[in-house]
Amino acid sequence: MELLIKNGAVVDPVNGNKGDKTDISIKDGKIVNKVSSKATVLDAGGRLVMAGGVDAHSHIAGAKVNVGRMMRPEDSRSGISPRTKITRPCTGYTVPNVYAMGYRYAQMGYTTVFEAAQAIMKARHTHEELEEIPIIDKGALTLFGSNWPTMDFVREKDMDKLAAYVAWGLLASRGFGVKCVNPGGGEMWGFGKNVTGLDDVVPSFDVTPREIIVSLMKVNEMLKLPHSVHLHCNNLGNPGNYKTTLASMELADQVKASKNRQVMHVTHLLFNSWGGTNWGDFESKSDEIANFLNNHDNVTGDMGQMIFGSATTMTADGPKQYANAKLLHAKWSNGDVECEDASGVVPIYYVKQISVHAIMWAIGLELALLTKDPYKMLLTTDHPNGGPFVNYSEVIALLMSNKKRQEEIKTVHEAVHAKNKLPGLDRELDFSEIAIMTRAGTAKVLGLLDTKGHLGVGADADISIYDIKPDQIDPSVEHAKIKSAFSSAAYTIKGGNIVVKDGQITATPLGRTYWVDAKVPQQHHDEMMKDIVKKFKNYYSIQLANYMVQDEYVTHPQVIKAGSVPVEVN
Amino acid sequence: MLTVTLKPKKEIKISVEAENISADIFSGKTEKEIQSLVVWMGNQKTTIGELFSVKVEGSGPAADTKIVLEGDFSRVKRIGEGMTAGLILINGNVDMHLGAKMSGGKISVKGNVDSWAGREMKGGELIVEGNAAYYLGAGYRGESCGMRGGKITVMGNALDFVGEHMCGGEIIVKGNTGILPGLSNNGGKIVIGGNTSRPGSEMSKGTIIVNGKVDEMMPVFKLEGDEVVDGVTYKKYTGDVIGNGKGLLYIK
Repeated sequence: MELLIKNGAVVDPVNGNKGDKTDISIKDGKIVNKVSSKATVLDAGGRLVMAGGVDAHSHIAGAKVNVGRMMRPEDSRSGISPRTKITRPCTGYTVPNVYAMGYRYAQMGYTTVFEAAQAIMKARHTHEELEEIPIIDKGALTLFGSNWPTMDFVREKDMDKLAAYVAWGLLASRGFGVKCVNPGGGEMWGFGKNVTGLDDVVPSFDVTPREIIVSLMKVNEMLKLPHSVHLHCNNLGNPGNYKTTLASMELADQVKASKNRQVMHVTHLLFNSWGGTNWGDFESKSDEIANFLNNHDNVTGDMGQMIFGSATTMTADGPKQYANAKLLHAKWSNGDVECEDASGVVPIYYVKQISVHAIMWAIGLELALLTKDPYKMLLTTDHPNGGPFVNYSEVIALLMSNKKRQEEIKTVHEAVHAKNKLPGLDRELDFSEIAIMTRAGTAKVLGLLDTKGHLGVGADADISIYDIKPDQIDPSVEHAKIKSAFSSAAYTIKGGNIVVKDGQITATPLGRTYWVDAKVPQQHHDEMMKDIVKKFKNYYSIQLANYMVQDEYVTHPQVIKAGSVPVEVN
Repeated sequence: MLTVTLKPKKEIKISVEAENISADIFSGKTEKEIQSLVVWMGNQKTTIGELFSVKVEGSGPAADTKIVLEGDFSRVKRIGEGMTAGLILINGNVDMHLGAKMSGGKISVKGNVDSWAGREMKGGELIVEGNAAYYLGAGYRGESCGMRGGKITVMGNALDFVGEHMCGGEIIVKGNTGILPGLSNNGGKIVIGGNTSRPGSEMSKGTIIVNGKVDEMMPVFKLEGDEVVDGVTYKKYTGDVIGNGKGLLYIK
């Protein structure tokens, strides 16, 4: 099938296009140089054309998303839309049902989304949901930060075994990359405790968060994985935590990247850029974080922007969620994944007139505005922790319009004037910078820039067209138009198929699931497996043979090869 | 004044979702328009005109609208949902979710109401001359705030979980209630004329007054001594002490 998109104002930073009228030719799901005269022609009419959106951090599938659904039946009363001839019924706002995840991302012009945390033990559930999410391509990052084998190999300083374990864990979970959440804290939480900094020793394992982070970065680069280590810092959600965040980011200097990308991605920085010592003197330290990123090229971050209203916080950071539930007197769900990690789910309602919430809201925007290079600060809401992903258009409008920000600042708690820098920031991002934060940058951080996040020849034909004419609009003034255009794409094209037209779903092809098959030398694997077999015999409640996610659960795989050795030949 | 009288054409055996029976929706509509309003019967989409005979007299805004329901509405749910003004008079029994989320106006029922009457109500008044079933003025599944304002009066008895997660407003039950009235109460006032059991667990704010006998007390309240409320002497308790709650429980 061939498709020719004519007359689009193409914003494609990777290929240096800033809104020039360029035709895009599509054949067999890929962007090509040229199509035949038989190609279907789609006239974009001078409207904005970008690559399909790529989200590097969102909680869209798996055990804790489902716990969120179970403990929030009230959430499923909003966002209800009945079945149509093409689509299945949808429910929910912060924790939508599986189908709504795919439809709503596609309606925003997003075509690739990565689930940010799956425990290996729970991976089968993640993939059962991923396979049912329509349209978008997806993948899941696998948790390694508090796994017992990880901590054992870190203590023994055996990087070969750790690399073998990570490679095997990715295979076992059909995972895409290494996620590290509050390293060490998940294990401590099993004993009702938490780690407070990079140098606390995790009892019984005799390792520190610092050692875990550095070791995982080392093996991540040994394995030449497409994505870097994806870090949720220690001390998240505590006033004064920016120091821990800076100290964690400094660790990146100890490791050299194996590819043209960062060695550490620090996620949802909104929750990690906090000054002060308590909720009273709580303040923004986003300038310190942005300053670090501006002076270092080996670390990237994402916003985790907060959206006022209903949200559901869900994370593998179990101890943090217990503290949240106590603080908010909210519903709380706690989970323990044996020998691997913890988790927690707590609903929250962000209120404009609560000072802490207002300051947090401003921190997210500051991070994006103070970080000079948009490749280093991706746009996320850490869905649904900061707020549901359907609000990305609101965030885009805020970043593109100082006027909108000033209007909004008038409606939030006055603390933002004293505790934030946002009121004095007049930077307004342009379409190219937005395209980087939502497409090119996310694809680059994930290591998928060859096929995702741009519109050059050879890229996947994932394209979104928005009802804006970039040469005729002043985003600073017409921010309402920007918001409405980005919330509902005029067209979304996925793999060459038109899946959304005028904000309505028109087709629901199934997307692919990315996972990484990393090879290590056979003897490293064998040595590591001896320990794993022992672990299963002594500690796990299930059999090793039942642990692996089988291929039957990933019926639309997109396997990326990686590893510390070239693919072996027998 | 607009008066609309609805009467079932035949016995309704399958439950009907009739959130369209509301003064806000009826006002400004002709008889024909009201007849063509959508209701669901089970999984079948139908109209008010299909199920009920409709009689319309006069016209007027929502605040000056009276809806009279004659006959058996005991399988009709969600009557008056989200209503902001006007009057609904019901001469028999009704099914669940009567006056859910209503914020104004008045609903008066001669018979009994099923569960979730006045669910998450914000204002207005609901009067039930018969009995109420479960979760009167409560929050629906998962909701952290039930009734937030307005007044519910039940002349008869109510079943369990009266005013669960209530955040404001007033519920008066003249008769007895089932177990756990005011469960997870977070504000508002519940007055029970008769007997009940285990009132006010997980209470963090609000007031519960019991004029009859309490079969069983939850061991989470602290006795503060006697106090006179409206000329009647009650034993005053505070709690729930486990959650450091500031709820007030008065028992005669």
